[in-house]
Amino acid sequence: MARPSNHFQSTVGSKIVMALSGLGLVIYVIFHMLGNLQVFEGSHALNGYAAFLREMPILLWTARAGLLSIVVLHIMLAIQLTLRNRRARPVAYVVRQYRQASFSSRTMAASGLVLLLFIIFHLLHLTAGVIDSSSADRLDAEGHRDVYGKIIHAFQNPFIVALYLAGQLGLGLHLNHAVTSSLQTLGLEHAAFNRLFKAAGPTVALLVVLGNAAIILAIFLGIVRG
Amino acid sequence: MKFSLNIWRQKGPDEKGSFMTYEARDVSAGMSFLEMLDGVNQGLIAKGEEPVAFEQDCREGICGSCSLVINGIPHGPDRGITTCQLYMRRFPDGAAITIEPWRARAFPIIKDLVVDRRALDRVMQAGGYISVNTGGAVDGNVLLISKDQAETAMDAASCIGCGACVAACKNASAMLFVAAKVSHLALLPQGKPERTRRVKAMLGVMDREGFGSCGNQNECEAVCPKGISVRFIAALNREYLRAGVVELGLPAEPESPHAESA
Amino acid sequence: MMKLDPRIPAGPLETKWDRHRFSEKLVSPNNKRKITVIVVGTGLAGASAASTLGQLGYQVECFCFQDSPRRAHSIAAQGGINAAKNYQDDGDSVGRLFYDTIKGGDFRSREANVYRLAQVSAQIIDQCVALGIPFAREYGGQLANRSFGGVQVSRTFYCRGQTGQQLLLGAYSALCWQIERGQVTMRPRTEMLDLVVIDGQARGIVVRDLVTGRVSVHTAHAVVLATGGYSNVYYLSTNATGSNVTATYRAWKQGAAFANPCFTQIHPTAIPPGDAHQAKLTLMSESLRNDGRLWVPKAAADYRSPGDIPAAERDYFLERRYPRFGNLAPRDLASRAVKAVCDEGRGIGPGGHGVYLDFADVIDQQGLDVVRERYGNLFDMYQRITGEDAYHAPMRIYPAPHYTMGGLWVDYNLMSTVPGLFVIGEANFADHGANRLGASSLMQGLADGYLILPYTIGHYLATAKLISVGEDHKESRAALQRVTNRVGRLLNAKGHRTAASFHREVGKLLWNHCGMSRNEEGLKSALTSIPSLREEFWRDVMVPGSGEIFNQELEYAGRVADYLEFAELLCHDALHREESCGAHFREEFQTDEGEPQRDDSRFSYVAAWEYREGASPTLHKEPLAFEFVAPTRRSYQ
Repeated sequence: MARPSNHFQSTVGSKIVMALSGLGLVIYVIFHMLGNLQVFEGSHALNGYAAFLREMPILLWTARAGLLSIVVLHIMLAIQLTLRNRRARPVAYVVRQYRQASFSSRTMAASGLVLLLFIIFHLLHLTAGVIDSSSADRLDAEGHRDVYGKIIHAFQNPFIVALYLAGQLGLGLHLNHAVTSSLQTLGLEHAAFNRLFKAAGPTVALLVVLGNAAIILAIFLGIVRG
Repeated sequence: MKFSLNIWRQKGPDEKGSFMTYEARDVSAGMSFLEMLDGVNQGLIAKGEEPVAFEQDCREGICGSCSLVINGIPHGPDRGITTCQLYMRRFPDGAAITIEPWRARAFPIIKDLVVDRRALDRVMQAGGYISVNTGGAVDGNVLLISKDQAETAMDAASCIGCGACVAACKNASAMLFVAAKVSHLALLPQGKPERTRRVKAMLGVMDREGFGSCGNQNECEAVCPKGISVRFIAALNREYLRAGVVELGLPAEPESPHAESA
Repeated sequence: MMKLDPRIPAGPLETKWDRHRFSEKLVSPNNKRKITVIVVGTGLAGASAASTLGQLGYQVECFCFQDSPRRAHSIAAQGGINAAKNYQDDGDSVGRLFYDTIKGGDFRSREANVYRLAQVSAQIIDQCVALGIPFAREYGGQLANRSFGGVQVSRTFYCRGQTGQQLLLGAYSALCWQIERGQVTMRPRTEMLDLVVIDGQARGIVVRDLVTGRVSVHTAHAVVLATGGYSNVYYLSTNATGSNVTATYRAWKQGAAFANPCFTQIHPTAIPPGDAHQAKLTLMSESLRNDGRLWVPKAAADYRSPGDIPAAERDYFLERRYPRFGNLAPRDLASRAVKAVCDEGRGIGPGGHGVYLDFADVIDQQGLDVVRERYGNLFDMYQRITGEDAYHAPMRIYPAPHYTMGGLWVDYNLMSTVPGLFVIGEANFADHGANRLGASSLMQGLADGYLILPYTIGHYLATAKLISVGEDHKESRAALQRVTNRVGRLLNAKGHRTAASFHREVGKLLWNHCGMSRNEEGLKSALTSIPSLREEFWRDVMVPGSGEIFNQELEYAGRVADYLEFAELLCHDALHREESCGAHFREEFQTDEGEPQRDDSRFSYVAAWEYREGASPTLHKEPLAFEFVAPTRRSYQ
């Protein structure tokens, strides 16, 4: 009797798990961005959306636990493979020229690390409210928690804005290679669709970064106000 | 023409290596890169010094012996060729050229620029074949193979096993090499009966030999002298997934004839 | 005294092989396990033989000097492999392939061997397809064929321009299977340097591990040499730089007869030699002659660029000499015609070593795109090497040593004059007579390895009395000592000249006196120059480093030392054969039109040379009886 777990312990198996978990996180990131874009519709919409999420605590915490475990799995495999890859070339080249390996593909570990640090900061900052507790638990006019007010307040600070934009840069670089790479790892390849698959990474990266940066900059530049 | 060569010298597998600088003089534009190195070596031998060891054989780009990283690119600055097909007219007179061996844990250095690539042979021995006895094969036209399929199989089969893909890969991964063989055989009806075992066994040995994992950076494709496409890597991943599905769905699959050695 | 017994089975040609196989003794399966066979070389012949013997149950020990068995020079064969399948229904048959091969070889090969080769040819294709070789296919899914080498049927199977590569990788994959099963022990980077003969039987080899430098003896019940040809004796050839004569030459010194060494094929279309540092010649596929026209200026020393020479002042010499075959004349004739015009001072390019291969007409008639599609990769290769664009100016080509029909003498069972020493592929002399046709070498290598040797070696192993021997047998120790002494001599000469300089010199000597055309005077002068060059070599060669390390210069110097001896044997054979046949052209023996004159009354035999220490080699003759075809004059005019 074959054990499927063995199947995923090889490098290719690990890569497949990384691709699947990564794509899961990409879907989350897209929804996260779409949800937050409601900031442009005013405090009512955004705070209502936040309240809606809070109305189902079991679902929320299940989703959070799921996300967390996916992130942990993704990171653990990344560390495992990266260490393996470092070992695979004990002596580096003195002169090295790349022909077609993109910058983002060569810096996945670095961009992943930037992203991880950013996410931790982001969670501490806006979810747990540890970094800036001044606006943590205020309520809006309708009695919902004032998420809208919280982010408007947060992105007045140029330091925080710069940090978030840097996080977006890490995210963009990571996604640029990640999405296309995941499709390749999952064996998705067909003459008719290859251009689509190739474009998927940069497109997703661009849309997510633009969407998120729009929120940050719109608030900072005063286009969206409290 | 005249060149300044910065060459990796290493006496043996366990010795410490370092770069040495040599002058290549009286080089003509029509000389091949290896002939230029021959010239340097002739000078060294005449002086009683040990020549620079490098691997070469057919000198027409098909045997896969030659293996130099020239100015940071395996097989040098031109695309779609091996080092032996590189000519000196490609370099400006007086240029400095750095020459390094293939670098990978799976390819230990034997001497200077010569590395041990038997890891690739061991990957092949794990399953890069169709186990058919000599004699008694059916007529070659019994199984029809469409022209497209035969051509695609040939694209994959043209791999010369030089190892440039490993040398170029940031992770020293051998995925393009394995992908070429697995795809070639999986595309042909003759190779299908063993495809499940083949892909698992070959990838298993690939991992054991200490190659890195594939990062889908496609640098392998860019240096491959035969231009083998990374599409075959996707096909390899697919074969691997398929093998997993087959194993899940058919726990009672008959014992493989290779079970004892797999 | 050496006796040549070809052991050709009696009876009708068509059933010789079947009846012979039936009468052969077999080795029982449980005995096979106890039998070890050594296979040296992993080209088409060696890899296919080793894998098949392993599959039959023998313990096989397989050696090659390259870093992997997949690198053997069979890999470079471009064109294709012949087989009498008659898939095209264009009148091909076993008989026709047999006849073409016999005639192509200018009636200097053995009928029974050639017929067997034609018989098994079809089975080779089936075997290769089963191994997963991606042969070119028609749109309907059937195997495709093309015509090749001036025969009148389409019987050549091919994988683009990489047929040799694909067939070799197929045989290599079969070998990999047997290695994995534990039937074959593969020893790459190991060079055979001598043969161990015990009680008159070949029982082992002496090898040097090229990585550690360790010299050791490996014993077995039989030894198979599949070590290829010796074109590199000419220094510049189309062979891989590593291809060498050492294994067969060392076996010759231990008593195996060497047959027809002077039959060396010069391929007409290679890129001309450039400067003195050139290490090899690159072949341009023979298929170029389907559309290209060969010409030189009519006047000697005409240094105008080709475009400035009007048609009336050009000599399309192949079309002039062979109006019926024109530019498609067989290799030997085309090569000699090129040499003839160059000797008249009408050659073009550096040193006057070259003729034009012109595609202007076909480009005019069919367009650049058609030519680009057909030959694009070859034109690219030409441009890379010469820096010239052959679409706009004609290519320059010149003949190059390519294949050697001569080799160790073998009987019908592929066994040499040393019992237990089998020789297969290009290393033996067998099937191509005095000239080989295109796409036949791959066929012969695989026929020997897959389908013939595995039968015939069984009979020997079943019937021979083989005592148990090991590394410590006195003959083993003596052979080991010979090798150690020789390696020591090479290292201790500590002279001033590199091995390559000697190689270049002996190569040039042979090319001038024993190349495309030979004459008595030249051969005699070569025979006096070679010994003194050899003597200088041993006195003045410089081999740096030691024997206990990876030492490429030591490997090379050993091979050059053997060329310096073997060159003499080559010249002896060329001198004694006072006729022109196939690739062997003696200037004294030609018609008034300059066509070769064969002499069947005096030379219808295989010349098998026996080594004698300190004396000239002794000639033995195996008469060639033609029972089924009548030798005719080979005319392509």
